[in-house]
Amino acid sequence: MSVIEVTGLTKRYAAQTILDGVSFSVEEGEIFGILGPNGAGKTTAVECVEGLRRPDGGTVRVLGLDPGADDRTLREQIGVQLQHTQLPENIKVWEALDLYASFYAAPRDWRELVEQWGLADKRDARFGKLSGGQKQRLFIALALVGNPRVAFLDELTTGLDPQARRVTWELIKRVRANGVTVVLVSHFMDEVEELCDRVAVFDRGRIVAVDSPDGLIEGTGAEHQMRFTLMAPADPGTLLGDVPGVSGVTRDGDQVVVTGRGDFATAVTARLARHHVLVSDLRIDKRTLDDAFLALTGRTWEN
Amino acid sequence: MTALAKLTTVELKLLAREPGSLFTVLIPLFILVIFGSSIEPGDTVLLPMALAIAVGLVGLYMLPTTLATYRERGILRRLSTTPLRPGNMLAVQLLLQLVLTVVTCGLLVAVGVNVLGARPPGAVWAVVVTIVLGTAAMFSIGLLIAALAANGRSANGIGVLLYFPMAFLAGLMQPVDQMPVLLARIGAYTPLGAFRQSLQDVWTGGAPSLPLLAVMTCYAVVLSVAAARFFRWE
Repeated sequence: MSVIEVTGLTKRYAAQTILDGVSFSVEEGEIFGILGPNGAGKTTAVECVEGLRRPDGGTVRVLGLDPGADDRTLREQIGVQLQHTQLPENIKVWEALDLYASFYAAPRDWRELVEQWGLADKRDARFGKLSGGQKQRLFIALALVGNPRVAFLDELTTGLDPQARRVTWELIKRVRANGVTVVLVSHFMDEVEELCDRVAVFDRGRIVAVDSPDGLIEGTGAEHQMRFTLMAPADPGTLLGDVPGVSGVTRDGDQVVVTGRGDFATAVTARLARHHVLVSDLRIDKRTLDDAFLALTGRTWEN
Repeated sequence: MTALAKLTTVELKLLAREPGSLFTVLIPLFILVIFGSSIEPGDTVLLPMALAIAVGLVGLYMLPTTLATYRERGILRRLSTTPLRPGNMLAVQLLLQLVLTVVTCGLLVAVGVNVLGARPPGAVWAVVVTIVLGTAAMFSIGLLIAALAANGRSANGIGVLLYFPMAFLAGLMQPVDQMPVLLARIGAYTPLGAFRQSLQDVWTGGAPSLPLLAVMTCYAVVLSVAAARFFRWE
């Protein structure tokens, strides 16, 4: 069942078109990524879905309801973490969670969330005294305290250190495992690749592709590369040329470079093993979403 | 506890933790006590001044700074994604700032009358009407500042910037009878001036002057409408 249906969503500010006919749907129980560089319209699109902004055109349905219709039943079922929001400096962690829990008819036990999100020893700390990572985890906990069916997380790991990001990713997977549909806005490729079942790639107010991260990478036709050094003389061309998925075998100094598509690397290593050919310095350069983005938009990520 | 009751409780705690609220109580109290030590028994001038200072501080400083900060920090926006709407936060804030006003005024009157020997107010209904209208006028200025200010800091700045000329014209810095006639007359048409004069009228036992009550009512209505018109949630 589609939890979110967006059709032909358009949004303009003055003469500028921020969203130009965006359509996508999010299925129940998936982590759906909204990926794109800054200014691509990601946040505006999600804010239209959350009911914070009114679209100029198109339709949006969340759980079958119109988010613009000021409908309490919908807001009971969604949880939102917004970019650039703060809490009052002097509110304590437990007070914020307890307060937000009281807004919902059937909230979660916030004490559980405090444990899960590693805020137990910060329970009585004031918001202003929390570190960036702790604030971020509090915001995610606040987004989940209403026991939502859909959670919107906007740039959830911005400002977190690499280890905290990993931990957050694991927790988000657990959120999905509990049956919550997650919409994840991000400009981090690795995050989207790690977490998302499907991704909508935004570029200048349009969606250029919707697919799984692997599908996006494969769909661009990009080839992966594997490199290794042969430990005994052999002719890699005859040995590997006919392995399924392999499109080329070349030499680069004393290294062998094999290019191919799909899961060719597994087939190549299997063939090498079967012929008792030992290799060293094996490296596989997988294509990433960066390459996919470049292929889809003709532009590199940073520009 | 219902969401609204919980919101009120939490916001009350936050108000109590806010150093500004302490100053709002202490500044007029300090002025009252300092000047109160040299008043004659039955004084009718000092308490109206202290009350006007207190209500002015809440309306021009506490209310707009709090609301503009909440908008700046995205708190109102965040609330609008929950089943509770941000309008509730506005209502709760108005209520609590009103409570702060009432508590401060009560404390000032109690100290002024019982400790310093100032004259107790004449007709209680007249005092209540004057304070209600004066508070409405000052709060509506605060709401308009909150509506127009870009953020908490600029709301604070505008409040302070408005406070001093208004306090001067209202005769809070020197008695009106020592001010140039023209300024004193202009002062009576400012919200704080009308408020102080009206308080003093009822304190001396007279009825509140209708033109002064009308001045406060006009400010309250016009500025509140303007504030509602210009208010942005984000």
